[in-house]
Amino acid sequence: MTSTSERQGSTACGHPSPQDRLAALLDSASVEPLHPHDESGVIAVRGRVNGAPVTAYCTDANARGGSLGVTECQHIVDAIEAALREDCPVIGLWHSGGAQLSEGVASLDAVARVFAAMIKASGRVPQLSVILGPAAGGAAYGPALTDVIVMAPAGRVFVTGPGVVREVTGERIDMESLGGPDAHSKKSGVVHVVASSENDALRRARRITDLLASPGVFDPVSVSGPRDLRALLPDRARRAYDIKPLVQNVLDADNNDDPFEEFQPGWAPNVVVGLGRLAGHTVGVVASNPIRKGGCLDSAAAEKAARFVRMCDCFGVPLVVLVDVPGYLPGVGQEWGGVVRRGAKLLYAFAEAVVPRVTLVVRKCYGGAYIAMNCRALDATNVFAWPDAEVAVMGARAAVGILRRKELAALSEDQRDEVRERWVAEHEHTSGGIARALSLGVVDAVIDPTETRFVLAKALAAVPAKRGSHGNIPL
Amino acid sequence: MAEEIRAEIVGYVIEVVAAEGQAVRRGDHVVVVESMKMEIPTVVEDPGTVTSLHAAVGDFVNEGDLIAVIE
Repeated sequence: MTSTSERQGSTACGHPSPQDRLAALLDSASVEPLHPHDESGVIAVRGRVNGAPVTAYCTDANARGGSLGVTECQHIVDAIEAALREDCPVIGLWHSGGAQLSEGVASLDAVARVFAAMIKASGRVPQLSVILGPAAGGAAYGPALTDVIVMAPAGRVFVTGPGVVREVTGERIDMESLGGPDAHSKKSGVVHVVASSENDALRRARRITDLLASPGVFDPVSVSGPRDLRALLPDRARRAYDIKPLVQNVLDADNNDDPFEEFQPGWAPNVVVGLGRLAGHTVGVVASNPIRKGGCLDSAAAEKAARFVRMCDCFGVPLVVLVDVPGYLPGVGQEWGGVVRRGAKLLYAFAEAVVPRVTLVVRKCYGGAYIAMNCRALDATNVFAWPDAEVAVMGARAAVGILRRKELAALSEDQRDEVRERWVAEHEHTSGGIARALSLGVVDAVIDPTETRFVLAKALAAVPAKRGSHGNIPL
Repeated sequence: MAEEIRAEIVGYVIEVVAAEGQAVRRGDHVVVVESMKMEIPTVVEDPGTVTSLHAAVGDFVNEGDLIAVIE
C-alpha cells in the first residue's frame, strides 16, 4: 500500500494517514486492502481485532478533506458487504466533510448507497464508528446508523457546521460547542463512548469489537469467591446511591480496564447501560441508577435502554438487568415530551428480545417501571431479588394513604399514626413485599447477595443462546 | 471553566452539604433533594471551588434550577 506521504499534496493538512489509523486499530500485520490502491479519499481493508476477523474503512482527511464521492462511498459499501458475507464486525474511522461538492448529486446518491448498505447490515453484523475529526452531513448520518459511536477529543459531529448555522439562523457557535464530545455525550446522546485521545478511541473500539466478536463461553464455576455486593448499598432505604460500583462488581474484573464498558454515561444517566463479561461471557447490563433522578425511568432513559437492549438482542448478547426503580418520572415536561410513546419502546424492546435476560431487584421496583425493567410477564429468563427487596405498585405507605384516605381522615390525630403503621404492615403482607411476589411467581427466588454473580451467570448459561432477527434502528 | 450544578429532579432541598468557598471533588454532594420519596444528592462532576450557592434547606426546586456554581 502506498503511504499517504507518497501521495501528492496529501500531507499538507498534517492529519494521520488512514493507513496509520487502520494499523493502530487492527492487530499488527493483519491489514489486507479490499481494493487496489487508488487516489480516492477512503481505504477499505480486512483485518483482525484480538484475532477475530473484521473489515474496516477509513476516510482520508488529507484527500479533499475526506469528502465522500462515488469511489469513496463504493469502498465503504464494499467493506460493509464483505462484513455481511463473512459475518464479522465492520469498523469505520471517520474524519470527513461529508458529500463531495465537486461530484454534485452523484455524491449524494453515493452517500445514500452507504446508508442503504448500513441499514441492510443493521442487526446482522456489529457496525462501529470512530469519530477522529470533524464528521459532517453524510459523515454524521453514516455513523448515526451504526450500532456504536466512539468519539476522540478532536471528533465533531453535525449536520451543518458553524458557518452554515450562522448564515441560516444567525446563531454564533464554534465547532466544538456545536458538535464536540461534550455536546454529544451530555446533550444529544449521539455518542456512546467519549475517549481521552485518538489512541484511546481506537483502543475502546477494539475492546467493544472484542466483546461483540469474541463473546466467550459461560463458566459459572469460574466466578471467584463470594462478594458481599449488598455492602455497596447505603444503610437507609430512602437514600440514593451510585449503581456503578455494583455493576462493576457484578462483572468479571479486567486487568487492564474498567470491567464495565459503559455506553452514553453522560446522557440519560438515570439508567446505566454497557458491556462487560460475566463468568467469561460477554453480557449487556441495564441498570437503574438511583443517584441520578432517583433512578426513575423517563423518556430519554427508556430510549437509551431500549436501543441498547435491541442491539444486544441483535448480536446474541445476554442481558443482566439490575433494578432499583421508584417508577416512571411524573410531570408535565415528561408527559408532553412523549414519555408514553418513548417509554413504550423499552417495554417493546424487552418483550421482543430472545437473548437470555435475567433481572435482579436489588432494593425496590415500583409501578410501571416494574414492568419496563424486564419483568416476568415480559418473558424474563429469571427474576431474582435480594432479601428485603420490595416489588409493588407503589410503596406501602403511599398505597395505604390512597386506599385508606377517608378512614385515615376520620381518625383522631393521636390514633392516626399508630393505625397507619398497622395498615402499612398489613398492606406489605398482602399486596407488596417480596413474599407476595414469590407466591405469584413474578419473582423466582430471593438470593443470597454474596452469590449474585454465580446465580446470574448460571441462569444466563442455562437457557439456549438465541439471538434476535431484526435491525438496530437508532431509536 | 465554571460548572453549573442544576437540579435534576423536582423536589425539596432537605440538606445542604457543601458551603461557599469549599473545595469539592468529583462525586462530592452539593445538596440533597427529596423527591420520589427518596433522598437524592446532586453530584459534582468537575472538581473545583463552590463560588456561589443558590439553595437552602426547605427550598422547592424545579428540574433545571441553579443550585450552585463551581469554578
